[in-house]
Amino acid sequence: MSEYTIRKANENDIPFLTDVVIEAEKSNCKQLSFSTLFNLSEETARKHIASMFDEEIDGCEFSLSNYLIVEYEGKRVAGLGAWIEAFDGNQPSAILKSNLISYTFGKDAVAYLKTKAHLIKGMLTEREPMTLQIEYLFVDYAHRGKKLGSLLFRTQEDLHREKYPELKKVQLHLFGNNYVAQEIYKKMDYVFVSSHKSDEPETMEYLPYNEKIIMEKTFK
Amino acid sequence: MQRSEIMDQIRKILISVLNHENFEMTESLSATDTDGWDSLTHMMIVSEVEKTYGIAFKLKELNKMRNVGDLIDLVVSKI
Repeated sequence: MSEYTIRKANENDIPFLTDVVIEAEKSNCKQLSFSTLFNLSEETARKHIASMFDEEIDGCEFSLSNYLIVEYEGKRVAGLGAWIEAFDGNQPSAILKSNLISYTFGKDAVAYLKTKAHLIKGMLTEREPMTLQIEYLFVDYAHRGKKLGSLLFRTQEDLHREKYPELKKVQLHLFGNNYVAQEIYKKMDYVFVSSHKSDEPETMEYLPYNEKIIMEKTFK
Repeated sequence: MQRSEIMDQIRKILISVLNHENFEMTESLSATDTDGWDSLTHMMIVSEVEKTYGIAFKLKELNKMRNVGDLIDLVVSKI
């Protein structure tokens, strides 16, 4: 493990973090929601995702400074984001993310989303205030099996608990078909909390799966 | 345009986007206490307000907005 180094992300990491978001969001499938739900090419969606990181909004999935990066021989090979939900009276991350999307994706994209909203309505999840939220893990295919995901999770948890000892819980939201990840998280003491499913048959054309699940771990 | 007129217009937008009128329209009304005002409908509400008044919000303005009163303040400052 000594050849791997872990550090906080900075603005130079935005292209890599954009890949992290895209790969994690696709969840080993073809559909990228940031593309399909907004009627955008993947290339355009990629530019918008990078723009969201550029805004440096704290407290949501696109909080650049809260990402950790693993490097191997100077190359970025893994990344993971985290934030404290609605910390200190902040807006819920869902609203911050919506604002970011409205601002960067533009009116036409939001108008298209409106026509597809029914497909994802049942899958919307709420995040518990003052919990650590973990989102968007990606490990380069050539570096899987090295426990880099566990390293990133543990480091995110430790860093946030050190800074905010009052944190009681960490949560994550993932697609219901990501069985491998669910098993890994169970071994890391995460437990299943709830399932949020869409009954619309068309949903699978736009998203990797029609179910989101929440898992969590209580800090001892 | 008077503040009360803007509030009434926003009320109509909320009813149209949320598909119900089970809320008491006050300046303190917010996403957290309104059924159906979630991340998806939030985008649509913002988009409809911008379209109605021919204005565009900055990201910082959107992130500071906590309730309908803040939204009205923003609209007033831009028209």
